[in-house]
Amino acid sequence: MRMTKVAVAVSLALSAVSLAAEPAKPAAAEKKIKACFIYVGPVGDLGWSNAHDEARRLAEKAIPGLETQFVEAVPEAQGLPVIDRLVQQGCKVIFTTSFGYMDHTVEAAKKYPDVVFGHATGFKRGPNLATYMADFYQVYYLNGLMAGALTKSGKVGYVGAFPIPELKRHISAFALGVRAARPDAVVNVKWISSWFSPQKAREAAEALMVEGNDVLAFTEDTATVVQVAARKKIPSFSHYSPMYRFAPDYAVSGQLVHWEKIYIDFLSKVRDGTYGPGKLKDVDYWWLLKEGAVEMGAQPGMPINPKYVGALKKAQMTVGGKQVAVYDRVMELLKDMQSPSPKFDPFDGPIKDRNGVERVPAGRHMTVEELGSMQWVAPGVVGPVADEPK
Amino acid sequence: MTLRPLAPLAVYGAAVAVAFALVGGVLAAFGANPLECYGAMLHATFTDPQGRSEVLRRTIPLLLIGGGLTVAFRAGFLNIGAEGQLLLGAVGAAAVALFLPATPANLPAMFLAGATAGALWAFPAAWLRSRLRVHEILTTLMLTPVAEYLVVYLINGPWRGEHVRGFSYTDSFPERLQLPVLEGTLVHWPTLALGAALAAALQLLLTYTPAGYELRVVGSSPPVARYAGIAIHRVVFLAGILSGGAAGLAGAGEVAGIHHRLLEPAQVSLGYGYTAIIVAWLARGRPIAVLLTAPLLGAILAGGDTLKTGFNMPFRIIDVFSGTLLLCLITAEALWPRRERRGP
Amino acid sequence: MTQELLAAALRALSLGAPLLIAAVGAIANERAGVVNLGIEGMMSLGALAAFSVAVEGHSPALAVAAALAAGMLAALVHAVVSLTVAANSYVSGLALAMLGVGVAGILGRRYEGFPLLDPVAEEPFLVAAGALAVGLWVFLRFTRPGLVLRSVGESPAAADALGVHVTAVRYGAVAFGGALAGLAGAFLSLSYRPAWTDGMSGGLGWIAVALVIFVGWHPLRAVLGSTFFGLLYYLQFRLQDQGRIPVEVFGAMPYALVVVALALSGLRKARGSAPAALGIPYRRGER
Repeated sequence: MRMTKVAVAVSLALSAVSLAAEPAKPAAAEKKIKACFIYVGPVGDLGWSNAHDEARRLAEKAIPGLETQFVEAVPEAQGLPVIDRLVQQGCKVIFTTSFGYMDHTVEAAKKYPDVVFGHATGFKRGPNLATYMADFYQVYYLNGLMAGALTKSGKVGYVGAFPIPELKRHISAFALGVRAARPDAVVNVKWISSWFSPQKAREAAEALMVEGNDVLAFTEDTATVVQVAARKKIPSFSHYSPMYRFAPDYAVSGQLVHWEKIYIDFLSKVRDGTYGPGKLKDVDYWWLLKEGAVEMGAQPGMPINPKYVGALKKAQMTVGGKQVAVYDRVMELLKDMQSPSPKFDPFDGPIKDRNGVERVPAGRHMTVEELGSMQWVAPGVVGPVADEPK
Repeated sequence: MTLRPLAPLAVYGAAVAVAFALVGGVLAAFGANPLECYGAMLHATFTDPQGRSEVLRRTIPLLLIGGGLTVAFRAGFLNIGAEGQLLLGAVGAAAVALFLPATPANLPAMFLAGATAGALWAFPAAWLRSRLRVHEILTTLMLTPVAEYLVVYLINGPWRGEHVRGFSYTDSFPERLQLPVLEGTLVHWPTLALGAALAAALQLLLTYTPAGYELRVVGSSPPVARYAGIAIHRVVFLAGILSGGAAGLAGAGEVAGIHHRLLEPAQVSLGYGYTAIIVAWLARGRPIAVLLTAPLLGAILAGGDTLKTGFNMPFRIIDVFSGTLLLCLITAEALWPRRERRGP
Repeated sequence: MTQELLAAALRALSLGAPLLIAAVGAIANERAGVVNLGIEGMMSLGALAAFSVAVEGHSPALAVAAALAAGMLAALVHAVVSLTVAANSYVSGLALAMLGVGVAGILGRRYEGFPLLDPVAEEPFLVAAGALAVGLWVFLRFTRPGLVLRSVGESPAAADALGVHVTAVRYGAVAFGGALAGLAGAFLSLSYRPAWTDGMSGGLGWIAVALVIFVGWHPLRAVLGSTFFGLLYYLQFRLQDQGRIPVEVFGAMPYALVVVALALSGLRKARGSAPAALGIPYRRGER
């Protein structure tokens, strides 16, 4: 309600200003910027758009003189008209938070050279268009280690939305982790062809459990899988938003995102002039654990649910010929990947895909571009995956 | 006597006013000033040139689908699966754009393919209704999710583009198969012209041709039609197919004019198939009237978006608005004594 | 193998329950001659009402009552518009579907992201669903009031001539249908998926509309039909692993199969036993 009043007041103020056609005032002591956010979904879900909105709020608090506005549930084809409107309303920085807005953002960046644009998950940049992404693949690997340790049946289930590179990357990292802890385990994936569908998520999870999967992970914008698994006493990994409160006894860990790290960094730099129109051609955030843009856990500050620490300490895995406790391995890798110069990467070669084709040679990392357009999936993933390369 | 044509306008006007008042209450409950909001909506849809183009953009598919549905409703065929038929139209057009070897006729071929695909999708429902008296509400409705899954299958599988980095899209259509738009907007005017032409053509068909006459009789009184020896089932069947084809044209227009590729169903069709039902219903059986009702609904949708962008209203406000408006409209229409009634 | 079948049956019943409940309500009001396409909206409102009461810590019974009331209220709007005002009932239902989902979405904003810490067990709802179906069947088939309701749907003029207050009966039927749609929503937010999110009803209301026609307005067949639909929905995930058949085929299966089933029943010349006066507003004295 307050937000609405602010928005109304600002609109009124802006209209008054434009009507009066006053000349520009000299820069005030505190520089004001208006940043606007376009979301592809509703902010009420527990997923993607909600996370961006939470980050927006945090950024607004953290940066003096920052004023924000958001528009939710904007279909991809309406990106440009909405951007037009936002620019009209005085937005100086515009974030488009979905891959599908790419072409419209590129066009808008050309149309409004004085406005700064940020496109999440994109790869096309320009003088006033930067790209940014906070990715989970490292966290998924660690989740996988835990899943592999906890599964008794050797079957781990994954409820997936659409077979796009982001998910293939996450599922593969997850599977690599699962197999590192338990080499004979499999990750069974079921697709629900939707980003948001509590019913589909539930039925897919139920089907996975019937098939004997006793640990679950997922990509869907609600906490349904966590709840459903908990009812059958099956541990699961929370996704995107803190879902610990939905199953305090069964949410082992998960993936959490902190888009505000990127937004605060970016907006601060806009504010102090480091970033601005003309300077963004090579600005691409690919932020991971190291930058704090993502976090492991079902709740911030709690990487592993205390109820499972004991089991994870007991579980053993082989690393470099030696036996180590899975718990120790997870924490060790977490610490490493959070450090300023991580040594470990889940996608360090040699890696073959699940059809036996070598995708990452020994001694090589996967580049950001390769990760961003990943088509193959790692060994251990069982189930139909559309569009796998031969 | 001269006032009679104005009567419906007055009635609808009153209904619209009531709807605005009711929704204004909701807006006030959110702390927004209703007058302010409405002022912004009016500005965004009528005075702001960019806003007008937004209204036009939405009008295009509504015009096409609405025209076809008006005819279908007039014949008593309640097609509520236009959403799916639109998607099939998009699929048909995409097939031509992506896979047919280049010829100058490709762009019209896309629309032809779209219309055919849409008509094909309406075929099962139309046939089942005309031959086996299976109610078309159910069959048309059920085929929409099937259409959605078909699109998802194509963009994730066999039609996934090579230059899309693995995301769920087809490749972009070649430049010459992308419709021209009005400068600086997303309005693909050839489709708009097509829609207007179709509405006019359908009106002429209905009013001046024997086929149109038969359709009108079938719609207003099946017993009389039977007595007159009209092949009811064929009329209904053709009306159904036609409405599917029109929806298919809309789908072709959307991918040729705006998206230039095939993508996620929820992005291709923004509920146009359902909104067009209102467009058709308001047209009261006269296809030419969609030239008024389609922009009206386009304005409502665009205006609703203004509430979203300008006032941080939750996006559901558009549904509240549409639903309230619809209720007020049908209430007003029912309370006003009229000699004839048309429609379902 | 038996475990597999049992699991499938349970899933079918679980997802079939809200479908059955909503369908039974819809059958009641459609047999009285009133179409209600607004079930989706009423379900959403019921789900929100139930959740908002339960999350504050009140008893499940109160939550269910709230859902019944919410559904009934929305249905009464539909009744006023389609019966008293005698506007087009198909469009009125559509409008209410939009309105219900929209209002629920807006009002439910503050409840998003909170789990229901004390979810209600599913079994009472499953039992209630079955009981309601059987109860309606008995009511329609064997009782006098049931006969009155059916006559109002088949031939309102005749019923009116016999002294039946057609509009009152229809109001009652519509209210009942709305209440049950609300109850179906309550099941979703209290039991099936104990939380609230915008768009929670997820199209189930529309499937219920389809179910009513699919089973020929027959309450007992609705039990089979809803279980069948529930089973199909579940199978779309259970059968995904084939590898050869694309997953989307399984997703589309429930809907395609409905069309096939309808075609088959049409072939068998089972004249859709739609109530003769369905969807036609009744005006005394009009032909």
